[in-house]
Amino acid sequence: MEPLNHFAPYTGWVYPNETVIEWTVLIVVYPYLTGLVAGAFTVSSLYQVFGFQRLKPVAHLALLTSLAVMVFVPLPLLLHLGRPERAFNALITPHLTSALSMFGFFATFYVVLLLVETWFSFRPFIVEQAQRRSGLPGMFYRVLTLGSYDLSEEALRCDREWIFWLAITGIPGAHGLHGYVGFVFGSLKAREWWSSDLMPVVFLFSAIISGVALLIVLYVVSCKLRRIRIDLACLKGLAYTVWAFIMVALILEGLEFANIVYKAREGVEVIMEYVTGPLLIPYFVLQFGIGAIVPLLLLSYMIWRGTTGKALIAGVTLSAVLVLLSVFMMRWNVVIGGQEISKTGMGLLSYQVELFGKEGLLTAALLVVAPLALLWWLTRLFPPWADKAA
Amino acid sequence: MPKHIVRLLMLIGGALALGLAAKWYFTDPSFYRYGFYRADSVAEIAAQGPAFKTARYCESCHAERLAQWSAANHKTVTCETCHGAAQDHPQKKAKLPIPADAVKLCTLCHEAIAGRPRAQPQVVVAQHAGAQQCVACHNPHAPKLAGVVAKVSGDVAAGGKKHAASCASCHGANAISPNDTWPNLAGQNAAYLVRILAAYKSGAQTDVMMSPMAKTLSDAEIQDLAAYYAGLSCKAPPGAPAAGDAAAGKLLAKNCAGCHGETGVTRNAAWPHIAGQKSVYLANTLKAFRAGLRKDPMMAGVARGLSDADIANLAAFYAAQSCGPATETRKTQ
Amino acid sequence: MKGERISSLVARRAFLRKIGGAAAAAGAVAATGIPGVMRKAAAKSEPAATQESFPTPDYDWTKHRWAFGVDATKCIGCLRCVEACKRENHVPLDAHHFNTWVERYVYLEGENRARVDSQADPVNIAASGSQGEYRFANRYQDAHVEKAFFVPKLCNQCTYPPCVQVCPTGATYKGKDGVVLIDQSYCIGCRYCVHACPYGARWFNEARGVTQKCYWCYHRITKGMQPACVEVCPVGARIFGDRNDKQSPISLFIHNNRVQVLKPETGNEPNVFYVGIDKEVR
Repeated sequence: MEPLNHFAPYTGWVYPNETVIEWTVLIVVYPYLTGLVAGAFTVSSLYQVFGFQRLKPVAHLALLTSLAVMVFVPLPLLLHLGRPERAFNALITPHLTSALSMFGFFATFYVVLLLVETWFSFRPFIVEQAQRRSGLPGMFYRVLTLGSYDLSEEALRCDREWIFWLAITGIPGAHGLHGYVGFVFGSLKAREWWSSDLMPVVFLFSAIISGVALLIVLYVVSCKLRRIRIDLACLKGLAYTVWAFIMVALILEGLEFANIVYKAREGVEVIMEYVTGPLLIPYFVLQFGIGAIVPLLLLSYMIWRGTTGKALIAGVTLSAVLVLLSVFMMRWNVVIGGQEISKTGMGLLSYQVELFGKEGLLTAALLVVAPLALLWWLTRLFPPWADKAA
Repeated sequence: MPKHIVRLLMLIGGALALGLAAKWYFTDPSFYRYGFYRADSVAEIAAQGPAFKTARYCESCHAERLAQWSAANHKTVTCETCHGAAQDHPQKKAKLPIPADAVKLCTLCHEAIAGRPRAQPQVVVAQHAGAQQCVACHNPHAPKLAGVVAKVSGDVAAGGKKHAASCASCHGANAISPNDTWPNLAGQNAAYLVRILAAYKSGAQTDVMMSPMAKTLSDAEIQDLAAYYAGLSCKAPPGAPAAGDAAAGKLLAKNCAGCHGETGVTRNAAWPHIAGQKSVYLANTLKAFRAGLRKDPMMAGVARGLSDADIANLAAFYAAQSCGPATETRKTQ
Repeated sequence: MKGERISSLVARRAFLRKIGGAAAAAGAVAATGIPGVMRKAAAKSEPAATQESFPTPDYDWTKHRWAFGVDATKCIGCLRCVEACKRENHVPLDAHHFNTWVERYVYLEGENRARVDSQADPVNIAASGSQGEYRFANRYQDAHVEKAFFVPKLCNQCTYPPCVQVCPTGATYKGKDGVVLIDQSYCIGCRYCVHACPYGARWFNEARGVTQKCYWCYHRITKGMQPACVEVCPVGARIFGDRNDKQSPISLFIHNNRVQVLKPETGNEPNVFYVGIDKEVR
């Protein structure tokens, strides 16, 4: 038995079994990654379904990002399980009343959808590579062609139709996946901090802003790496998207908090003690202040002043980084925060995050970085750059 | 439909079929039988062996203890509450003793702390018995002290008269017994005398000689006698040399010191002094306790483990002790 | 094939050969696995229940409806129940894992809120000397105590258990006799149920990677015994029995007292009935 060094110090009165914080930083990473998937997919849908032409430079990148992150979404969950080798049980006998058991199906469905849509999007490229390349890479592309090199006008029209409908299916799919993550928390009546009807929506909107913000950063960084001029129209489009969704996310998060405070049910004293004490910096300062209000003001200012050029790039990128931080803090404040408020409504715990170990910060950081590495590799196999691919 | 799409759909269809087959193959056969769970797990859970075996299990060997326990005021406290789980006893764990420092155990229930219902007997540990172990005075199986120390308010002069008339012939004119078989009464604790005479009178305690004698006594006469004996000097001429080894008895007597005092001069008026008592009487009495002829929950437990030689040694030790001064005797409460 | 220039036809053939090979391999696996599959199929078509009473020949769970009572006016806070439970159910001997525990509520003079602690409180652990032993420290001896009492806690075996609702695999379930059980060889250790329980009754066994909780000593009650905590309670503060039997201790307890349950607003409908608790107890 590994030593029990992660029990949580507490104040007030907490149930004895609560002194072990069961959902660690890995469960913070899990909804964070899912959110990035949903957000990135939103961007690709904006182009594919709603015809936002200015987002074309990032449309394929968005799809690949979504896929790269999605592959890693189940990993924090698996690592966190007490018996990961039994995870299969949740798939062969999924309990239909459990939000968590649905994850396997949502995720599988969504991974397949992403794969298929990506496949359709890159099929002309795949066919071309299959014919051009030899050796192992050639073999790889040839397998991917599924043995059909048909690039006729008729076939491509069919592909476009599929992409359109897959993108349409993907919108509820991606957002359902993330809304469900919010439901995992919001449906638990045992915790006042989680139990909220708004939780799925709050998760959804914060997911969208995090995904768009990630794409902004990825786009800017990729252009810098590839020494390509940044398409300012595209960047502005992304900035508008973040700007609009931040407002909604902020309002929803504010409403949710206001609901808890205003309804002032049993245990609200402890919640107030918590948010004005240990949660002051992570919640008000980082999540709301620096992470949401600062980028909102910055973006508003730039839109009002019609900032352009280098200043726009710097401002939008900075805002995007702050939003990424804000959303991570939001996940942290929900997952860890909910557990730090005792179910007794009479005490507070404090989570002691460990650095190393299976559920430590290092693992969490690796899990956040790993999708980026995969994405880098994927862009090698399937260049998403509109300037070249087109 | 273009070929690549057909192939894609076939691939997806194949994966789905594979998934369904896997679900069918890997699902436990008892799953769904009674509901959404593995029905076999119910029997698996029910199959665990219990660690706590209940008093019925203990009774198969310890019927005697159990009889005493079940008649007394600790009867709601089952064997395993104090002795712990009986699993592996006697096979692997030969004994299930209560901890040597029984104070820690007893005070779990009987320390006076806020929250304990009033009906629960509680003591302020520091004021109750000092460093003394609870089991020194209380038999855990029947912890209520035998006889709350009786109030003695007899008439000494009347007691003297009664003594001369009825008791002196056996117990001696000065209540110092002329032989080794009958006990000295002079200087004995009045409360103890009242208790034991009342027991003979009521029949709770029986003795060929004493039972008929006590039955003729009124409650007032018992009080008078007790007051009279308590006031007499216990100084007695040395009796015949005792059969046992007093030095060996001294070692054994450590077990008795809690109640009877180190040399047999007790601090608790409810119990008899046994220092300087007649050795044959002491030995006979212990044997009577051991055989269950004389009844006392605490003494029965103590005497059970004594051999004949132990009893002789103890009797020799106590008979050789000086009986007085009894100044330490606690005032009757 | 390396370095060879291949036409689309060759590519297609290569691909089809691949598929074919895979199919052949799968066929081979299936062929060797056929006895296993047959056995499996036989097991699945087995009649629903081969024995007459379930889960054991001596115990039919459809004939019982277990319930638990706690008389807080009797509890003396001796914690024999906690110790017995840990021993009976091999619960880790530390201050963070309990199937059952005892809470102490103390109202000091002039204070409107109770001060609450349990045997897991550091002060009480200091008094007992170790995390594996249990004792309530006499911490309020110098204070003016207005009101104080003990409240034993355990799994409520709710009629509508939220823990069962959220379990993704069906590793925890409510039996026909009312006890919520955990299939420890099926639990994946996600701990969703730990969060779903409003009473803090569930805990995670780090060593075994599964969740555990009080199950009213199911292995005892199916053998006609009392749960270990009830067995060792010296004052009868814990009452257990079958509600189908009108004369059982629990039926009489519920019948003769005005009982209440914890956190009724959750809608879980607990099956542990309390007498003598107070507004602060939840």
